[in-house]
Amino acid sequence: MAGAACGFLAVAGAAQAPTPATLVAMKEELDRSMAAMSNGDPAAYFISSTVADRQYSEVSGSNGALLTSTETSARWLEVQTRVGTYQLDDTHKLADRQPSWTSPGTSVVIDDDIGVLRREIGRETNRQYRAATEALIKVKTSQQVQVQTAEGNAPDFSREKPHVSVGPRVEIKVDRKPWEEKVRKYTAAFSKSPEVLNSIATFTALGMNQYQVNTEGTQVGFGQVHYRLELYVQSKAPDGMDINRYANFDWLSPKDAPDDKIVFARIQTMIAETEALDKAPLVDPYAGPALLTGRAAAVFFHEVFGHRAEGFRQKDINEGQTFTSKIGEQILPDFISIKDDPTQPALDKQMLLGNYAFDDEGVPAENVPLVDHGVLKTFLMSRSPLVTIPQSNGHGRRQLGFVPVARQGNLIVSSSKAVTNDQLREQLIAMVKSQGKPFGLLIDDIAGGFTFTGRQQPQAFQVLPLVVYKVYADGRPDQLVRGVDIVGTPLVSLTKIVATGDTPDIFNGYCGAESGSVPVSAVAPAILISEMEVQKKETSTDKPPILPPPGHDPEEKGQRQ
Amino acid sequence: VRKFSTIALLVAFVLPFAARSAAAQAAVPETDADQTLRAMHDEMERARTRLQLPGVDKPFYIEYRLLDIDVRAVTSSFGALISSSNTRNRFMSVDVRVGDYHLDSSNFVSEDGFQGFLGSTGEVGIDHDYNSLRQDLWLSTDQAYKQAVTQMSLKQSFLRSLTKPPEIDDFSQTTPVIKIDPRVEPDWTSRNWDDESRRASAVLRNFPQLNATRVNYYLVYVTYYLMNTEGTIIRSSRNLAAIEAALDTTAGDGMPLHDFYAVYVAKPGDLPDPAAVGKSLAQSGTELMTMRESPIVSDFTGPVLFQGAASGAILAQALAPSLSGARPPLSTMPAFDEMMQRMGGRSEWSGRIGTRVLPASMSLVDDPTLKELNGQALLGNYEIDDEGVKSRRVEIVENGTLKNLLMSRRPGPDFLASNGHARSALLSDTRPLSSNLFLQATGGLNAADLKKKFLEACHDDGHEWCLEIRSMDNPAISSIRQEDFSEFIGAIAGGVASGERIPLVMYRVYVSDGHEEMVRGGHIEGLQLRSLRNISAFGDDQAVFPYMQNPQGGFAGTALGAFGSAQGGIPSTVVAPSLVLDEIEVRGFHGEPRRLPLVEAPPLTK
Repeated sequence: MAGAACGFLAVAGAAQAPTPATLVAMKEELDRSMAAMSNGDPAAYFISSTVADRQYSEVSGSNGALLTSTETSARWLEVQTRVGTYQLDDTHKLADRQPSWTSPGTSVVIDDDIGVLRREIGRETNRQYRAATEALIKVKTSQQVQVQTAEGNAPDFSREKPHVSVGPRVEIKVDRKPWEEKVRKYTAAFSKSPEVLNSIATFTALGMNQYQVNTEGTQVGFGQVHYRLELYVQSKAPDGMDINRYANFDWLSPKDAPDDKIVFARIQTMIAETEALDKAPLVDPYAGPALLTGRAAAVFFHEVFGHRAEGFRQKDINEGQTFTSKIGEQILPDFISIKDDPTQPALDKQMLLGNYAFDDEGVPAENVPLVDHGVLKTFLMSRSPLVTIPQSNGHGRRQLGFVPVARQGNLIVSSSKAVTNDQLREQLIAMVKSQGKPFGLLIDDIAGGFTFTGRQQPQAFQVLPLVVYKVYADGRPDQLVRGVDIVGTPLVSLTKIVATGDTPDIFNGYCGAESGSVPVSAVAPAILISEMEVQKKETSTDKPPILPPPGHDPEEKGQRQ
Repeated sequence: VRKFSTIALLVAFVLPFAARSAAAQAAVPETDADQTLRAMHDEMERARTRLQLPGVDKPFYIEYRLLDIDVRAVTSSFGALISSSNTRNRFMSVDVRVGDYHLDSSNFVSEDGFQGFLGSTGEVGIDHDYNSLRQDLWLSTDQAYKQAVTQMSLKQSFLRSLTKPPEIDDFSQTTPVIKIDPRVEPDWTSRNWDDESRRASAVLRNFPQLNATRVNYYLVYVTYYLMNTEGTIIRSSRNLAAIEAALDTTAGDGMPLHDFYAVYVAKPGDLPDPAAVGKSLAQSGTELMTMRESPIVSDFTGPVLFQGAASGAILAQALAPSLSGARPPLSTMPAFDEMMQRMGGRSEWSGRIGTRVLPASMSLVDDPTLKELNGQALLGNYEIDDEGVKSRRVEIVENGTLKNLLMSRRPGPDFLASNGHARSALLSDTRPLSSNLFLQATGGLNAADLKKKFLEACHDDGHEWCLEIRSMDNPAISSIRQEDFSEFIGAIAGGVASGERIPLVMYRVYVSDGHEEMVRGGHIEGLQLRSLRNISAFGDDQAVFPYMQNPQGGFAGTALGAFGSAQGGIPSTVVAPSLVLDEIEVRGFHGEPRRLPLVEAPPLTK
């Protein structure tokens, strides 16, 4: 077995902790399977297995009452058995056909019964081998009849150095009782506003230990802990347009949980925004300068740039492949640089949710400079290589139960042309005047595929401005508008950035895409765009409720308890 | 409120079971902290009197259903725990109708679904409090009303396009029922379910040839609330405790084989202890090992003997789609009608009242009011159905002649009124379904005589041996992985209309000396409802076949359509004698068995 310990969760300097029994069993089963399957017909050239121990608590409340309070422990097993060669194997993507579906895993024993665990691993390995052999036949058949695209010549799997690293196990202990009280209180506070039709508060705690072994010699074990509180409210404007507001808090240690004061303050802000949005006029079609606050800019970059920089999209002819042949070219203004750095745990003491030591293919996370002074340098890579980029850079990620693809971790945008946020606003007004417009737009919140609203489905690339103000050139106060829809390709807007703020903002969230939902961060300063075109969004025809809320019904005073 | 769609997969449901018989009470006891009925009443009253869009009718009927479920689910394999959870949830479903009993907004399927932002169903708070439930009911009632108005206008314009609109009423009238039972609070402490599941499943370690096993304990307490504007008020407790186990292996020639075990009782405390469960599992294990070594059955057409449990399973599959007398919904989509036909979802008995449908010696009765038979509990027992109608015994077939059908409040071409058979799971739409279904016959033979008669028929038909089926497969329980289940669907989806049936345990019985030999790999083709007219002999036994009925309409008439698991199935039984059916076609295994695993399973040492 080769490879040195690396990754920041390994105990530096200390004597190697005894290898966990789970990892030993995984290794033994791997060796036993490889001995037979590497001599099979067709031969397996690579096998990996992953075991994820997951502890999860969820406490959820709605409209002042508890919705659910649960705690689960589960252990998930994934085995990948590749047959063929690194160049051409069973996973090769066929142009016109989705690969036949096989679940990449199964739930297995949570008791530490190694015998039963080995039995499950053996069974899953056989199952995956059988599926792989069947898939390879299809791949070879289709190879003979189909024209190859350029990227079709890229190998199916990259060769990587083995890594051995076993960090300490993590464990979470959650007392759900206080959280049950909190979610009741938080959502009851929302009910004080007659404009809030529905509110949900959800606390989650996740403790996960993941072990990975493969036949190249990689053997890693690491733990992750994450606590989160989410607040969500729904409302309806008088014309029927859905209004929703969302907020989230993330922390790594129980002591860093947000205290009630901070949460209630946020709740008040959300109520105020909801009530203001309900009354706000619809936006008129407009083209002109726009300022995105850091938080909005972060979501914007994640959706419109980050997803397009994911390596696997460059291979797939069904994708837009916006950047595929643009390496070395100027794609953004020269003062903008972008990296994706999953190795960074925090920024200014604020946690970055896209932090991890190893990706889900056992490759160490790397800080990847994607754009250097406006020039595209590389893509985010899993172990599915491109002709030009043969190696993974530690971005192969997935939600348990999905096959890893290249995904973002911590996408961090920086600028060498930064001014204070106040100066940026002045520049906006100056630009509005010079373009002869009555007002510019200030976009304070954007919903994307990794914000709450769309988390269920992959919605990569979508951006929907939620909180938008008109900023008048004549000094009138800003005016909130709603129903804003960005016209055309949002990507074009990125080329029209003229200046940025100097304070990076962080957005932590879960990004849903091809390989499921993964935790990510996006960090960006405020940005000023010389021209953005917006139009009115189509509104829902579903009108607000006919009767007033039962707790705010003038004809029913005294009923409420 | 949280939208249904996001959580539907997390939890599963069970409905009526052992409905408690307490005297009807007009109001909730004062000591009761449950504010559910009060919140339902107050919000319903507000909607009934004030909910109206300008220029549109008020609702003529509002119904609230609410389900409070507390589930303890434990899964083990070979003595080790795979999962263990305890979840509490409450779900609501609101039905609002505009129009009148003759023509209302229901029974209509159109392409233009209503897109409400919350919908008329959802997950609600579990606190039994007043304020949050009123808020949730308020939104859902509003959405349901708007949906009803939209549906009504679409339906009316569709009806105008028909030359002869259907004359059957949309909704039947019934007597309101008030029945408020005390809440039953779950008690999980009396037994250690994690440990029991480990101990029971550990027995299967003694079978090294098993690839995988799953032993599931599923214990659920349900409180069902129902209220409507006609005056019905129901709060009833329904509990179920189940153990369902799946075992799978591979025969020496690569054929995948499986077996299952299931037990259902009313209360967790009534479940057998781990030693007894272990003993039953060991029996299943031994049976599966015998099956592994048994020869593959060849093609066969002739008399088949279905022993008690197998005949119950066959009847559950073949009869289910034809027992309902409710009319199908009107549909603007021909594709939908076609799909219903293909899935076998239409009743073959509808419109055939008074005709012969079974041998003259046989009668068919469905009786939800019966609690037990000869000391054996009958799972399908309930007092009030899911539409709040009192359950009733229904004589479906008398001496071979069709007399009645099972009815909910949705009228049909033959009958208008409900006979208390509306059942559902997960607050899905109610459908007329069987509960305790009895196939009764006079002049049954004792076991020895039945076998003799069977072998005589076999001999007369010119066979050396005939087939005896002891149990039928239940893919909802026996498939360990979703993938296995999908394979099963793939295998039989094409055979829905062709009456394909999957036996589990099957024997060859030799005419010469009556000796029996287990065989594997065959399935039955063409066993349809009308095949039951070819019952040539039957026993004097009354085997109780308990099962969880699938509440979905798809694949009607097959094992998939008939059977669910404790998670989401509706408790039901079939009581039937052993049956001999003539001219049954059994097809042996003709495919190519898959290759054997390259690597042998590791031994189960600690």
